[in-house]
Amino acid sequence: MVGAERDVIAAANIFSVLAGYAALVPEPSAPIPIAETAAGMGWAGWILWLPAISTVMCGLCAALRVKNKLPAWITVGLLGSSFLMTLALWLQYDQPVVIHLLDWIVLGGDRWTFIANFSLYVDSLTLLWMLFVTGLGTLIALYASEYMEADVRGGYARFFAGISVFLFAMTALVMADNLLMLYLGWEGVGFASYWLIGYYYRKPSAVAAAKKAFIVNRIGDLGLALAIYLIWHNFGTVEYRALFEALDSGSYSAEAGGWSIKAIPYLLMLGAFGKSAQIPLYVWLPDAMEGPTPVSALIHAATMVTAGVFLVARMYPVFLLEPASLTVVAWIGGLTALLAATIAMAQHDIKRIFAYSTISQLGYMFMGLGMLSSVGAAYHVFTHAFFKAVLFLTAGVVMHGFAGQVDLRKVSGLRHLPGFRITSFTMLYACACLAGVPLITNGFWSKDAIMAQAFISTGPGFRALGVIAIITAFLTAYYAFRVWFRVCAGPVHFEAGEEQPDDDHAPEHGEFRPHAPRLAVNLVLIVITIGAVGSIFLKGWAGERIEDSTAAYYSPLAQGAGFWEDPHHWMPWVASAVGLLGIAVAGYFHLVNRKAADGLKNAMLANPATRWLPTAMENKWYVDELYHLMFRGPLWLGGHILNLFDRYIIDMAIVDGVARVPRLLGRGFQPLSNGILQSYAVSMAGGVALLGILVFLMPQLVDWLSRWMGGAG
Amino acid sequence: MWVWPALLLGVPLFGAIVIAIAPSRQAKWIALGVSAATFVYSVMLALVFGHWDDGGFGFEGSIPWPGLEKLGITLSLGADSVSMLLVLLTTLLMPLCVAGSFTAINERLKEYYGWLLAIEAAMIGVFIARDLIFFYVCFEFTLVPMYFLIAIWGSEGRARACTKFFLYTFTGSLIALAGLLYIAWQYQIGYGQWSFDIAALTVFAATELTASQQAWVLLALLAGFAVKVPLFPLHTWLPLAHTEAPTAASVVLASILLKLGTYGLYRFVLPMLPEAVVAYAPAIAVVSIIGILYAALICWVQDDIKRLIAYSSVSHLGFCVLGLFALNPLGVQGSVLYMLNHGLSTGALFFLVGMIYERYHTRDMTKLGGLSKRMPVWAFFMVFFVLSSVGLPGLNGFVGEFLCLVGAFTASADNAIYPGVLGPWYAAVAGVGMIFAAMYLLIMVGKVVFGPLIEPARGAAAHAIRLPADLTIREIGVLAPLAVLCLYIGLQPKPLTDAMEGSINGVLGAYPATVERHLAASHESASDLAVDLGVVVQQPREHEERLDG
Repeated sequence: MVGAERDVIAAANIFSVLAGYAALVPEPSAPIPIAETAAGMGWAGWILWLPAISTVMCGLCAALRVKNKLPAWITVGLLGSSFLMTLALWLQYDQPVVIHLLDWIVLGGDRWTFIANFSLYVDSLTLLWMLFVTGLGTLIALYASEYMEADVRGGYARFFAGISVFLFAMTALVMADNLLMLYLGWEGVGFASYWLIGYYYRKPSAVAAAKKAFIVNRIGDLGLALAIYLIWHNFGTVEYRALFEALDSGSYSAEAGGWSIKAIPYLLMLGAFGKSAQIPLYVWLPDAMEGPTPVSALIHAATMVTAGVFLVARMYPVFLLEPASLTVVAWIGGLTALLAATIAMAQHDIKRIFAYSTISQLGYMFMGLGMLSSVGAAYHVFTHAFFKAVLFLTAGVVMHGFAGQVDLRKVSGLRHLPGFRITSFTMLYACACLAGVPLITNGFWSKDAIMAQAFISTGPGFRALGVIAIITAFLTAYYAFRVWFRVCAGPVHFEAGEEQPDDDHAPEHGEFRPHAPRLAVNLVLIVITIGAVGSIFLKGWAGERIEDSTAAYYSPLAQGAGFWEDPHHWMPWVASAVGLLGIAVAGYFHLVNRKAADGLKNAMLANPATRWLPTAMENKWYVDELYHLMFRGPLWLGGHILNLFDRYIIDMAIVDGVARVPRLLGRGFQPLSNGILQSYAVSMAGGVALLGILVFLMPQLVDWLSRWMGGAG
Repeated sequence: MWVWPALLLGVPLFGAIVIAIAPSRQAKWIALGVSAATFVYSVMLALVFGHWDDGGFGFEGSIPWPGLEKLGITLSLGADSVSMLLVLLTTLLMPLCVAGSFTAINERLKEYYGWLLAIEAAMIGVFIARDLIFFYVCFEFTLVPMYFLIAIWGSEGRARACTKFFLYTFTGSLIALAGLLYIAWQYQIGYGQWSFDIAALTVFAATELTASQQAWVLLALLAGFAVKVPLFPLHTWLPLAHTEAPTAASVVLASILLKLGTYGLYRFVLPMLPEAVVAYAPAIAVVSIIGILYAALICWVQDDIKRLIAYSSVSHLGFCVLGLFALNPLGVQGSVLYMLNHGLSTGALFFLVGMIYERYHTRDMTKLGGLSKRMPVWAFFMVFFVLSSVGLPGLNGFVGEFLCLVGAFTASADNAIYPGVLGPWYAAVAGVGMIFAAMYLLIMVGKVVFGPLIEPARGAAAHAIRLPADLTIREIGVLAPLAVLCLYIGLQPKPLTDAMEGSINGVLGAYPATVERHLAASHESASDLAVDLGVVVQQPREHEERLDG
């Protein structure tokens, strides 16, 4: 009845018709049974092992100093096979299944167990993630085979080993059947990012960024580790199957379990915020762009950062034990989305803009999860993976073509240059997706689902969050098209970057020829753009994948079905309006009248009352400096103080002081103890003597003591 | 049959004698052959060892020695699975130490390799002793070779370092001896005859000593073992000794000698003194956590790589002690695994630093940088072992660290199966050490391995013996076995944890009951106090047995 009524009204709305979101009207179903290890599915393990083999083979290539493109073809081949097997697994999938591969940590006995094996837990959430992880991973490797060719004589094999180890870790993270293996993948992707960000290891900024990424992630990892301890403490297992069964049985609740259950989602959240670059742990992602390859940027932005969203989705039942935690997730996501968008508006480095945009879009995903729209969140992960991949790949083309130029003020009119046409148009489409251009872009549909939910779900301040989301959508459209209008449109003009990573491409004096992309890069751009277009129609499909999994939660429905009563009806119009408005503003300032943008900025800078705003935005709201002052500074100072304390107080004052006592007492023997060996000999002899006395005189001593005690008693 | 375990001691000792007689040109080859033979022999023993599953002692027997029996002393030997693993660690590392010294040591070769083999025998003796006096003699005897290794072949500050090392640990050990002898003396009072048999004394001490007696003995034993571990604030001898010692001595010190301390805690303190351990475990845990964070912060500001790694040992062994005093199988398994892992990865790190020192004659991070350009193979191993030390899952360090922390975390009063006296906060605070470890180790790697190349002029010694820029085959041969083991343990810890299980269950036998008694008593006394004070105490809510099934 309600459903039918909805359909009628939905039919009146062009957006609803196109979205086909009637498919999302929930049909409550029984818990999904989880099969024991299915016979004959052991081959699925190769999805995990193939990237590992690829790592080893690329490592061998590095060790044997292979100087051709062999590592790239190994990686592309093996990752591609891994993708095809994921596809095959998806086609024959019918119910959640656990596939045991290898024993890892098996402890305990009859009364308790601590089991964490190399096993795969395959359900539709896993498959959804795996499809884009391995699919995109393969395409990235293909793109990199051309992008990195200047390094064939250098770190080519090392780079592809890094990509492979990243994919191995990501696969382990997503396909794990227990939290410990997830943790292995979790730290593994952190390590892979350390590897890839620090790829140009002679560049101090790259090394520093790599270090920062690893350490900031470790802070989140500690949260995840503590959450795992608590889960084991409360449920006696870290395996998903047993955990979900325990949760299904309904015998656990946050009320009965007290803080030790309530704390779990907050700790998990900390881990997710670290990996997915949310407040307060987002600071590593922009710096990761220092990592010189857009390929590594892409790996972070399109795949790795979704790990946090995956963790929350996977552990959704645990979060639902303590619904207040989801509100926190939503608010953190919303605030991060807004903060990152404001920073993105004021940056000049294309890669950094896209990095902040990633943080901002991840904020939307967490908002979706927090507001009980796990379908919207997962769909946004899916669509975002496509368009963000295109954005980073095209940014890479710009960088590659203009010798490391990433400043959007210094490249213009790209679409008029020969060889850059595909780049310009794929980038246009991706920017449109990010901006949420109505109907024809996937980002429009996925963002809309989240924003509408903000006006349906009930939670503290969700309406305000919805408004924040709408404002952020406007800012997003603005900064996305700021990049496109600056770089691809307008009059042709460019300056080469300062970096000359390789001598072969060194420009002739005074004349710089842009280096246009060739087949592999263009092919990858086109394939992913087609994927982005295709994903418009996959909302229902992605929704079903989620509903089939542990992340299933039937989002609250609107109270009424009239146009104004159901935000799903009016939100598309609002979203379209703010998106187009943002594009229009960007068009005015960055295409039609570029001087106006500079003029506005200068005017604001000139006015003391408004000067702080552009300055703070350009300086990323001084968050890095704040962290430095709050954490790194005190710890560094503490380290120095403790170092002095250790050396002068503990060691010299106390230890040496105590050691001096016997020496003072033994002044009389000074002639004997003037050398090291003598003092050693004396103490050794003393020790042996004491030993002898104790052993040989003990009976007498005991005798004497017992007589004395007897006498006393 | 006493001959089999005795040969483990006998082979290296015999080797030391041969080295003393043979010409000094051949000393290193004899040492390599003998230590390799000892390793092969220990592996053969391990293969026929019959107690991997049950925690019992194998290869038991006493070396007959006329005249000792009437004192109650026997030279009895025997090994359970944990001893066996530590013996294997020792025998594995010694040939590597010998091979790692080939170019670094160029004077007084006979003495050097002789002392190395002597210390090997002493360390094996500690791990397989079943008699208190024999244990103590071996325990103390390790100091003598180490003293000479530092005093003769150490770097500039060696005089102060070796004296402090010797006197500090010697004093501690003497106090520990007093504690152990006290147990033997009480035994004599109780049974009318002397015995230094560790098994007998363990049972006696655990059951017959009163809580306050146990507390005093605990204090005495801690004096010896905590210095050796070393536990904050008794650690200051260690950075000094490590920094000044020659490479192989640093490796022996970090990988094995420190483990004598934790082994002592495992073999004596835990099984002998349950009452006192339960009472003092929180205090000891707090001290180890302070040590973890304190040493980690100090690591952060070191310029001397060797000193940094030495302090990192202090920090790391804090985890090890924390796991032991979790008093549950997870924590103790983690702790024993940690002993092995730390031996592998920190030993390798000292080798790596030594390789740099041989080439550049400096360990100062401000004078070194970007060495991966010059030495890619070295850089690979450096990053690998740093990651192992940081505790990256998939490598060995992770498993031990994780289990130590999960053990401490779940060792709370409401744990139905293994109630403990620690709890979530201990693990949460100690876990911050994981973040710090990533910080100081990656900063070191960032400076030394990556970044722009900074290298001082190559040392005169390196020119004299013509070391190439990157590692030689011999040096790779030293590191590769350790790397393979790190990876293997990281991926397949099960054989090790299975092997330890029996021994650990034996050591922990008394604990669940003792802890429960302790908790009940402390609860009672709290209510008594509260009643005295006129306060109404709320009964703690009954916790359901969640971990069952």
